[in-house]
Amino acid sequence: MLEGAEFYFNVDHGYLEGLVRGCKASLLTQQDYINLVQCETLEDVKIHLQTTDYGNFLANQTNPLTVSKIDTEMRKKLCREFEYFWNHSLEPLSTFFTYMTCSYMIDNVILLMNGALQKKSVKEILVKCHPLGRFTEMEAVNIAETPSDLFNAVLVETPLAPFFQDCMSENTLDELNIELLRNKLYKSYLEAFYKFCKNHGDVTAEIMCPILEFEADRRAFIITLNSFGTELSKDDRETLYPTCGKLYPEGLRLLAQAEDFEQMRRVADHYGVYKPLFEAVGDGSGGKTLEDVFYEREVQMNVLAFNRQFHYGVFYAYTKLKEQEMRNIVWIAECTSQRHRTKINSYIPIV
Amino acid sequence: DIPLPEGETSPPAPPLKQVLEMQCSFLLLTQSDNSLLSIDYSLSLLSHRFVSGLINQGKVEAFEKMLWRVCKGYTIVTYAELDEPLEDPETGEVIKWYVFLISFWGEQIGHKVKKICDCYHCHVYPYPNTAEERKEIQEGLNTRIQDLYTVLHKTEDYLRQVLCKAAESVYSHVIQVKKMKAIYHMLNMCSFDVTNKCLIAEVWCPEADLHDLRRALEQGSRESGATIPSFMNTIPTKETPPTLIRTNKFTEGFQNIVDAYGVGSYREVNPALFTIITFPFLFAVMFGDFGHGFVMFLFALLLVLNENHPRLNQSQEIMRMFFNGRYILLLMGLFSVYTGLIYNDCFSKSVNLFGSGWNVSAMYSSSHAPAEHSRVLQLDPSVPGVFQGPYPLGIDPIWNLATNRLTFLNSFKMKMSVILGIIHMTFGVILGIFNHLHFRKKFNIYLVSVPELLFMLCIFGYLIFMIVYKWLVYSAETSRVAPSILIEFINMFLFPASETNGLYSGQEHVQRLLLVVTALSVPVLFLGKPLFLLWLHNGRSCFGVSRVSTSLHVCLWGASGFNFGEILMTQVIHSIEYCLGCISNTASYLRLWALSLAHAQLSDVLWTMLVRVGLRVDTTYGVLLLLPVIALFAVLTIFILLIMEGLSAFLHAIRLHWVEFQNKFYVGAGTKFVPFSFRLLSSKFSDDVA
Repeated sequence: MLEGAEFYFNVDHGYLEGLVRGCKASLLTQQDYINLVQCETLEDVKIHLQTTDYGNFLANQTNPLTVSKIDTEMRKKLCREFEYFWNHSLEPLSTFFTYMTCSYMIDNVILLMNGALQKKSVKEILVKCHPLGRFTEMEAVNIAETPSDLFNAVLVETPLAPFFQDCMSENTLDELNIELLRNKLYKSYLEAFYKFCKNHGDVTAEIMCPILEFEADRRAFIITLNSFGTELSKDDRETLYPTCGKLYPEGLRLLAQAEDFEQMRRVADHYGVYKPLFEAVGDGSGGKTLEDVFYEREVQMNVLAFNRQFHYGVFYAYTKLKEQEMRNIVWIAECTSQRHRTKINSYIPIV
Repeated sequence: DIPLPEGETSPPAPPLKQVLEMQCSFLLLTQSDNSLLSIDYSLSLLSHRFVSGLINQGKVEAFEKMLWRVCKGYTIVTYAELDEPLEDPETGEVIKWYVFLISFWGEQIGHKVKKICDCYHCHVYPYPNTAEERKEIQEGLNTRIQDLYTVLHKTEDYLRQVLCKAAESVYSHVIQVKKMKAIYHMLNMCSFDVTNKCLIAEVWCPEADLHDLRRALEQGSRESGATIPSFMNTIPTKETPPTLIRTNKFTEGFQNIVDAYGVGSYREVNPALFTIITFPFLFAVMFGDFGHGFVMFLFALLLVLNENHPRLNQSQEIMRMFFNGRYILLLMGLFSVYTGLIYNDCFSKSVNLFGSGWNVSAMYSSSHAPAEHSRVLQLDPSVPGVFQGPYPLGIDPIWNLATNRLTFLNSFKMKMSVILGIIHMTFGVILGIFNHLHFRKKFNIYLVSVPELLFMLCIFGYLIFMIVYKWLVYSAETSRVAPSILIEFINMFLFPASETNGLYSGQEHVQRLLLVVTALSVPVLFLGKPLFLLWLHNGRSCFGVSRVSTSLHVCLWGASGFNFGEILMTQVIHSIEYCLGCISNTASYLRLWALSLAHAQLSDVLWTMLVRVGLRVDTTYGVLLLLPVIALFAVLTIFILLIMEGLSAFLHAIRLHWVEFQNKFYVGAGTKFVPFSFRLLSSKFSDDVA
């Protein structure tokens, strides 16, 4: 990248950046959340959403309204926006967008393979797939029986292909292997994305690298947390950690040895960034879960990404923020529809 | 009546027949190739299978690649494009499709192939292994397609017949529906009576038509067989009725001009009647050209003679405008011919109908013979034999040759405009008197109309008198001592110290008297009416006219209070407007002169620039040149002089009527009487359909 690329940034990407900043302004405000929380029924939620930028997105839905319908429509809306960005983007921004969709594609592939394993019909599972990660060959995923099969037959032409280098094996695809495959894919995806941003340099690297580092470390923590009490060996576990985070390399090695949450927390204590996060985690019923804490941290980083100009991070940040907002709305809607109002306030505020 | 095919009503999008045909052709293709032929045979021995289907054009490449990769090359795929694009059953989009035939062997690969087909949303069709079966299926399908075609064909035929029958009566149905709709719309405006059993409609009806209305009601109740006959009562009312002015096809256009300004108040003097003559006349004064007027007259005559032609009746936009104003155009044309004769203008040239009254040779024989080398000859009417008397009609054609023609015509047209204008306005004021008489406001005559008249006549009437007097009294011999009217008129107001000759003896005294009358009429105009009304309001018993004033008082003020300030304000404003208006409106009539001058000059320019150029070329080529020149002349005459100039003169004539004439007496604050009539319904069918 040239020095002083910000001088040329607007030539290619100025329009889209302006657009995405406008879209960011349409995220729900604190007042919107307060109104939403007070809703009695899903219809109220719908009416409240109509006053925001979501507009009449639920107008064509037949009654009765369900949470999943709201979720699908919101996803469609996000997908429309994203596709607009994507279609109007120039290189290297479009590659950046491709990288963004890869994570959804991985999720979709894994979801489909799991579905095939449980002998569910493809159509049934297709509905659950994230629209951002759709691709044509997706439905043929269940032909494959081994990862190399999968790679050779289905994914070789998709953007996912490069991530397969590490996970070519002739193992049959059972549930554990699929989960391993997912994590391996994700690892190489994150590393590749990180490398791309790093090579791009400039403000994009300054913004995106911390976000991706955090993402990598979060995955490491979550993998560790989930592997407690499973048959996964510690060596295997270490191979799953993405190596682009702040924890690499010592932290990861320590994490690989961790055997319970306390040990994990001790690892995190070595890092100034993660220490406060683990401290915020409440024990037992009362406090926040680790996941929520991570989400909050993510939101914070994404919001901060908008403070800089002339970089691609805003697109990533906007998509993630929008996703978080969707999660919040779904949470509120679920709580509303199940009349489970005690926990309704534990959504992640986007400030 | 039409048997519908049983089972699925809408077959899946791609027709099977086509697929099968394609497949057969592929087989033929493969068989024609020798090397493939042997493979085909060996394949058949190995019990190979086929999958056939349709695939979206955009997916073909990826589909083939995936097949190759998954089945490791153990498949043979053949494609062909479908002749016609088909609709995608999912998105409804019309796209191109490809027919494919995959031959493979082995169960496992078969499963994979099927899955891939599913993945790419292909339409898969059964494909029997033996040629006989294939043929059988094809024949079966062919007959089914034939059946379907016949069914479709019959349905279409039947539908067409039904629609044709419907189309025959649709027009009358539409009219019926429209009439019914209009009737129900009217009925909705009626109110229920106390018993809720009949409807009461309160309507305005012209007094002359009451009898017809009664008879129509009787007839209606008799024909509908109603138990209670419909009946009609006249209700006394204090409301102002709407204005109905019955027009025919001739007066309609003129009435429209007046109505565009404002619909007359109930029983007010209707200026449309006078407009019929004054409007075309004022137009013609501006448009005065014999030739142009005649062309316009011919065009209007054509419209009038063909007025029953249906195409004219239903014409659109501009043509419609001309058609509606055809009688106005006709009169405008006629009057233009008349004024053209007076101006002696025919396409900017004068016509020598009766022989000029001037004699050039007499000028040479006289003692005043001009110098030989002079290019300009001045004819002196005082020389005996030069001027033999006026031309019988209009301007003498010899003026067309004169260099001072414009000066002469300007003086003539200016004076004419002022005279016409003042007569026109005075007539307007006089019409106001009829209004006052009808509305029983006699005091308005004495306190408003008479002062107005005096004001106008004492100043501008005197001006006319001076113009005419000067024309009559001064002859060619005495013209050198004739005083200027302009100076005289200015002096009338300034009382100059220096004594001028004057037009006649005692002129000074007459002028003083006129000025006094004018000066007196102004305060009467300003204060007369308000003071009179105040007097009526306060102490009408002082004089012996109390009987009249009581009724006046009641009808004027009714229940509302008497507001002296308001009346005074209104009257002052009206008076100021009138006094200033007299001057500015008189000036405004000068547009008659200006436009007539412009018209004459423009047509003159057109003649000099075109026809004269054509006429100057020598005879051999002149004819060739003259044809296009005359064509251009005709086109420009029609577009610039007739249409553009005509439109301009038309607008100015309208303005003179609306502003200068009608504001002298016409209030135009009424509402139009719009009776319920089927004739007002749009009889056009297309409006509804669109």
